[in-house]
Amino acid sequence: MSGYEWQFHIILDYWPIFVRGAWTTLKLTFASTLLGLVIGLPAGILRQSKIRWLRAPVSLYVEVIRATPALVQIVWIYYCFPILFGLQMGAETTIVIALGIHTGAYVAEIVRAGINAVDAGQFMAAKSIGMSGAKTLRRIILPQAGQKMIPPFINEFANIMKLSTLASTIAVYELLQESNNLIATVYRPLEVYTFLAVVFFCITYPWIWLSQRYEARLRRRA
Amino acid sequence: MLTITHLSKAYGDLTVLKDISLEISANEVVAIIGPSGSGKSTLLKCLNFLEPYDGGEVRFEGELVGYEDSPRGRRPARERQTNRQRARMGMVFQNFNLFPHMSVLENLLEGPVQVLGEPRAEVTERALGLLTKVGLLEKRDARPSTLSGGQQQRAAIARALAMRPKLMLFDEPTSALDPELVGEVLATIGQLAAEGMPMVIVTHEMSFARDVADRVIFMEGGEVVEEGPPSVIFSHPSNPRTQQFLSRVLHERFHP
Repeated sequence: MSGYEWQFHIILDYWPIFVRGAWTTLKLTFASTLLGLVIGLPAGILRQSKIRWLRAPVSLYVEVIRATPALVQIVWIYYCFPILFGLQMGAETTIVIALGIHTGAYVAEIVRAGINAVDAGQFMAAKSIGMSGAKTLRRIILPQAGQKMIPPFINEFANIMKLSTLASTIAVYELLQESNNLIATVYRPLEVYTFLAVVFFCITYPWIWLSQRYEARLRRRA
Repeated sequence: MLTITHLSKAYGDLTVLKDISLEISANEVVAIIGPSGSGKSTLLKCLNFLEPYDGGEVRFEGELVGYEDSPRGRRPARERQTNRQRARMGMVFQNFNLFPHMSVLENLLEGPVQVLGEPRAEVTERALGLLTKVGLLEKRDARPSTLSGGQQQRAAIARALAMRPKLMLFDEPTSALDPELVGEVLATIGQLAAEGMPMVIVTHEMSFARDVADRVIFMEGGEVVEEGPPSVIFSHPSNPRTQQFLSRVLHERFHP
């Protein structure tokens, strides 16, 4: 060790700042996840469609989002939307929309994988009693796929929690931005960044743990 | 009841069904036997269009299955029409394929209520009668995963019957079962046959085919090699390929 003298007590006085930042981080994460589900659930189902013109645009969306960095998506929406569409949005709204669109692509992939994981015999059994494709999806396939999708959904939620730090690049006062601000006041970057990591671990790890437990439970029951 | 004319099917260059013509009449029990890969399961799935066919046609009660004729020629039928045809044929699968997220009774109700739109109370009464018949009344609220393979297959047969089909299709119904569970399923199918339900059974159970079927069809390499009453097919098959197949499976049965 280089003999650095940790002085955590200095930043502990500023704990409400971390609470405020964590609250914003959680808010952004929940809102982005919700939007991601609203986009991703139908997108995942449409990606399985037999009709090409339904499938193709959704596939394009998923591939473009997955092959570009979330940070680029955020700055693109933040700086290009106002110019291209004359749509000026607040920084927080931008983050929710950008991360929501981002998450939607990953949720679509989770939905697709979930549907594919259902035994092909289930589709055949439903067909054999004359059930329509839409009804088969709703009554036979999705109830079975849904369970398998829950652990990766929770995992994705934890991912967005971490991705939400990108909001600091457009000055949204979430955890990272609050921390940077605090450093400008107290000049203790090591303490602040270390504590920031601890806070993130505390709000992210429970979700990862939950996802793992649920997955283990599904495996036991199978 | 069911007329198959010059039916053919290929996956790319691989021909799986070659020019098959068969007629299945009402009240008839037909067993299809043959080595694995002979196309017998594919043929069965073409009958209710779970597998689309490329050439020839299948007619069920006079109606073309899976396609429709228009002034500009034959084209795939609308989903709704094919589904309506499928609803009139019951199918039982090798792997049961019960709906795992529903109870046994709900499995039976699903088709009649959701597809045929029959009143739930009425269907429930009929379903309980069917469960009694297959000996599973006390399992009506159980999940399929808690049942033995034999019980699952009997539940699957009841599910198919709940639709009040005109014809039953069995796709190797005992192949996934432990040997000691085969008997109960065959007994259920046999009982159904005795009641006069027309059926097509793809099976490896030669003695069952001999006892239950009115007609046996031997398939190999995607074509019907020989057909006739079981007494003829099993005792005096005329085609050397049939003779060879039967001597092999019957030999294996007694000298595994």
